[in-house]
Amino acid sequence: MKTVLYEEHCRLGGKLVDFNGWSMPLYYTGIIQEHQIVRTKAGLFDVSHMGYITVEGEEAEKFLDYLAVNEISGKKNNSSVYTVLAAKSGGSIDDVLIFKEDTEHFFLIVNAGNRDKDLAHLLEYAKKYRVSVKDHYDDCGILALQGPETFPILRGLFPEADGLKPFRFIKSEFSGKEIIISHTGYTGEKGVEIIAPLAVIPELWSRILAAGETFGIQPVGLGARDTLRLEMGYALYSHELSADIPPNESVSAWTVKFDKEDFLGKEALLALENSPVKLYAYGVILEDPGIAREGYEVFSSDQWIGYVTSGTNSPTLHKSIALIVATEKLAVDDIVHIKIRNDFKKARITKIPFYHPEKHKEIV
Amino acid sequence: MKFTESHEWIVVSEGIGTVGVTAYAQKELGDIVYVELPIVGKEVNSGDEAAVLESTKAAADVYSPVAGKIIEVNRTLEDAPELVNNSSETDGWLFKIKLKNPEEVNKLMDRTAYQSKFA
Repeated sequence: MKTVLYEEHCRLGGKLVDFNGWSMPLYYTGIIQEHQIVRTKAGLFDVSHMGYITVEGEEAEKFLDYLAVNEISGKKNNSSVYTVLAAKSGGSIDDVLIFKEDTEHFFLIVNAGNRDKDLAHLLEYAKKYRVSVKDHYDDCGILALQGPETFPILRGLFPEADGLKPFRFIKSEFSGKEIIISHTGYTGEKGVEIIAPLAVIPELWSRILAAGETFGIQPVGLGARDTLRLEMGYALYSHELSADIPPNESVSAWTVKFDKEDFLGKEALLALENSPVKLYAYGVILEDPGIAREGYEVFSSDQWIGYVTSGTNSPTLHKSIALIVATEKLAVDDIVHIKIRNDFKKARITKIPFYHPEKHKEIV
Repeated sequence: MKFTESHEWIVVSEGIGTVGVTAYAQKELGDIVYVELPIVGKEVNSGDEAAVLESTKAAADVYSPVAGKIIEVNRTLEDAPELVNNSSETDGWLFKIKLKNPEEVNKLMDRTAYQSKFA
């Protein structure tokens, strides 16, 4: 599949790869260079392969509060919440952003690889509620503008977005069409995600790139998107979360609100929470040279304790970082060993995020 | 300079081969962030895994183009793995190997043959 910007990615010299059936740019100039642009200036991502779904109706809030492990009821209008959607069995169906306009109008942004599954899941449970669920997979696209220069760049195009707080969104207009500007992202930097009708996505893309030229904006591919999220310790579905990895065994465990009266999967997740086989997710920094890749085994005092879910070399910290899951509780500064090919490499449990945009800004 | 199907190059002088990966390979791999070099003294056959290039996205094996004994590795890559990207066919060399059979290199492709295959 191709997004509406496919030709543009080719024209810009993007190295296209398959991502969940989508032909998407891995990078245009290079992953590390693009990563640094997002940390220091601004990067523009085409994330139109992700799905936009609206949920409306009298029981919209109640419905989504039941499907989300995180608290949805009672959130402010025009705000958004990150959450996992769990199955009855406790497995993760997807991790999504849920946006609330008001108690009867919500929308979601879901992962590219889970679009069909999510829609089927929502439609299935919608039968029991007074809600209507509608996908906009074929009529809307999404761009993400991320980096410290985001708002200075937007000022010229959308002055109404200035001062937009994190996890807040506004509706605006572009080229005669209604668009949504949301202060959210997957990089840890200040940034926005813009949902717009497909018809105006190419023009919006060009206008943002033009407006950002003097600020050093660049188009950024999925490669840097992955290294940026990993520095923040954010989950990537099918790595940190999956049908077999419940939310409370992941870095997104904080989203599970057991004090909520009820939600889909609660019983299973609660049983797991009190079970001796539960896994715990941690960040590690390697102290020996090497890079820990997904699936590599983790040991503590010669005992197998778990495996790596994602790993890379942090372009900002110049350290080898990874997310792991372990059968036992570990503390920051505990030492584990990761088996890389035939060697056991020393790694230290580290607090995530690995990188704090505000705290580190001076040293970048 | 001779080339393999698996994108290594080798230059042989007085029975000692210097091995690296091709410009084409480094471009395909993207930013190299770590290089795992072989142990000096290790004996390898042609086609054996001899080094590993780690990019931001994945790990890629580098195979020895010939049989022989590793006699030197490029230690500068430990601090500057980006040399594999920037100077893949010069300063970004990976290891030197004493060929078991100096004739073996003649079986490999020349640049024209390699480029006609991967360009």
